[in-house]
Amino acid sequence: MGTFLGTAAPQPTLQRLREALAVLDPKLGPGLADEERRVELSAPIDAVLGGGLACGALHELAPAAPFQLGATTGFAVAVAARAGTGCGEVLWIATEFARREGGGPYGPGLDLLGLSPARLLVLNVSRPADVLWAMEEGLRCRALACVIAELTGEGAEADLTATRRLSLAARDGVSARVSGLGLLIRHHATPVPSAAATRWSIAGAPGLPDRLARRSGGLGRTRFDLSLCKNRRGPSGRWLVEWDHHERAFQPAVSVGVAAPALDRPDRAPAVRTA
Amino acid sequence: MWLRRLSTDRIERRLSAPHNAPRVVIASIEQAQRIVAMNDAAAQLRLKPDMQLADARAMYPSLPVFEADFDADRNLLEAIAGWCDRYTPLVGLDPPDGLFLDITGCTHLFNGEATLARDLLTRLRQQGFAARAAVADTPGCAWGVARYGRQGVVPRGGNEAAMLPLPVAALRIDAGTVADLKTSGLVTVGDLASRPRAPFAARFGKGLMFRLDQALGRTDESIRPRLPVPAAMAEQRFPDPIAREEDVLGTIEQLAGRLAAVLERRGEGGRLFQVALFRADGTVHRLELGTGSPLRNPPRVRKLFAERLAVLGDACDPGFGYDMVRLSAMVTERSDSIQTGLAGGDHAEELAHLVDRLGARFGLRRVTRLVPQDTHIPEYAVAAVPAHAPAAFLSAKEQPDDQAQDSLFPVRPLHLFERPEFVEAVAQVPDGPPARFSWRRTMHHVVRVEGPERIEMQWWRDDRGNRLARDYFRVESRTGLRAWLYREGFYSRQTPHPHWYLHGLFA
Repeated sequence: MGTFLGTAAPQPTLQRLREALAVLDPKLGPGLADEERRVELSAPIDAVLGGGLACGALHELAPAAPFQLGATTGFAVAVAARAGTGCGEVLWIATEFARREGGGPYGPGLDLLGLSPARLLVLNVSRPADVLWAMEEGLRCRALACVIAELTGEGAEADLTATRRLSLAARDGVSARVSGLGLLIRHHATPVPSAAATRWSIAGAPGLPDRLARRSGGLGRTRFDLSLCKNRRGPSGRWLVEWDHHERAFQPAVSVGVAAPALDRPDRAPAVRTA
Repeated sequence: MWLRRLSTDRIERRLSAPHNAPRVVIASIEQAQRIVAMNDAAAQLRLKPDMQLADARAMYPSLPVFEADFDADRNLLEAIAGWCDRYTPLVGLDPPDGLFLDITGCTHLFNGEATLARDLLTRLRQQGFAARAAVADTPGCAWGVARYGRQGVVPRGGNEAAMLPLPVAALRIDAGTVADLKTSGLVTVGDLASRPRAPFAARFGKGLMFRLDQALGRTDESIRPRLPVPAAMAEQRFPDPIAREEDVLGTIEQLAGRLAAVLERRGEGGRLFQVALFRADGTVHRLELGTGSPLRNPPRVRKLFAERLAVLGDACDPGFGYDMVRLSAMVTERSDSIQTGLAGGDHAEELAHLVDRLGARFGLRRVTRLVPQDTHIPEYAVAAVPAHAPAAFLSAKEQPDDQAQDSLFPVRPLHLFERPEFVEAVAQVPDGPPARFSWRRTMHHVVRVEGPERIEMQWWRDDRGNRLARDYFRVESRTGLRAWLYREGFYSRQTPHPHWYLHGLFA
């Protein structure tokens, strides 16, 4: 195992101090006491979203291809890690079927991405309808920074009415100290109309090996190819970002070897913006 | 309490035919079909238990016969015991056809022992059960008197007077001993009790004397309750049954208020609550509910039971209504009132409440936390521990040291499959990293690889298979899929054709 070059985990001491500070003074936390709180992603994305991913709202994530589920949940975990840096737990809801289909959340991996497993509460339910019920309960609870829920298949249960309910619950749940963020992961992108504030299609992007990795043949940092398909408050877009798990921040990434945008659907897929 | 005709009562409750026809229940004992139970009408025909069916048929060719179903009898006895919970929480089974009720301290609720026994027998008779009951100081005495004596209340200290005239069979001893005693001329308990003990102990073993002492109250005997005895309970009876859900929940809240007073005096809170709903027709619904932290706040108890009732739905059909509701705190735990801090306190409480609500709805075992375990095998490195478990189980074992984790920590995936998925992979050299692999019918071309990380299995624990070492690779495909693959076994040394598995997905 000694030959294995891994990725460094976030610095625990620094993080602990930050969390302690955020408990003492919410202003030192990542956001402010406001209905209009946002989780900042990265400057170009925030410009489109009006300052960041809206708190107290529901956001839908779907993998661009079925095998990109890992990247999709990775993005959700990254957002959750940013959403409640100081306090607040994260509730992860999935059906047993979803666990078999996509694997369950794995503690050490979450830790490496910047979300401490100690902050995570995992709920396994048997029916998709239960996922929505539990998500609503979780969003209303003011002790949770973020609720991540997985829906398999078409996810027809989460229709316009259901997502509207979830959005309202999320708005009730937002408070000075927790962000009340609802992230609904659909295992398959679906045309079902939804009341979610944003809808994302997510893929993993080939990483750029860092200095260490270039020597040893490693993979480098996690990269996401984010497509904002629907945005209630602004335009959509597509970006390539890199997740810095030390700082728990998204960095705009330079495009390397990304597949060209689909030419047959020019209106859906704008050119990749790089910064 | 003795249910004299349990088997035939069970059968007759189902039948619409007149109940006064003779009926017998048979079972195969010692290569012959023998009568094991019969109803009163059959008893009047001088049929005897243990008689062979052929003999009975010779006497009465048209005798209706039923096969014995001991499991059904047992279930019925359990159901009756559950129903008897309305009198006391301490109900012990005495198979095949008896029940012990410890009514110490319960009798005032029914205006005395005699009234309680009468009420019990009347209600059982209304439901079609022939029963005899006796109230006595010791279970042994009550057992004997209910079966062989005048049923009713044996006055305090009257054990000997009640037992001595009874036949020796009243001592709960097997039929062989009874027959032996009879041949030696000992017919009643009194005959036995007046003789010196030592010869009997030598002849029949200690059991006989032990039973005698139990019946006469010379040794203690405790009733083994069928259900765990609650730490605290409160109950409410209704002259008119209630059926509406709001009424039931309102009653639960009211009972929780009474329970809270008791628990508060003890400085405790309930961790496991049980509501027993006694339906007017004898069915008992029991709803159990655990909590994440000691709880005694009545509105919360109500809310949790509301969730539980919502899930159960029709499984908890009130029928003609419930005539008694009992709320018990089965498990309690010390709960000191905590002074909430300025910052964190309310959050912790709110979280505990959320866990309780989710637990009430889906079962507490489904709300879990991921706790790191001290093992290097990936699938066991994290255990899902129920979130309501004591804090000692939830806190991780101390990490060896933070520095080690900070510098070079083995990379682990975000999603781990409980069962690694078989993939077809092609490697350039048999013990090298994969060049491409096919997972779920999609071919992925590997662009970049990290690894191998070799993980040896615990051969000393695993006695069948699964001992092959694994070489893990973190691969990235051309399309951006990052996966955790491993090859099981070393090429040629352990296996000629190593298989590849996909064990997890990275972000």
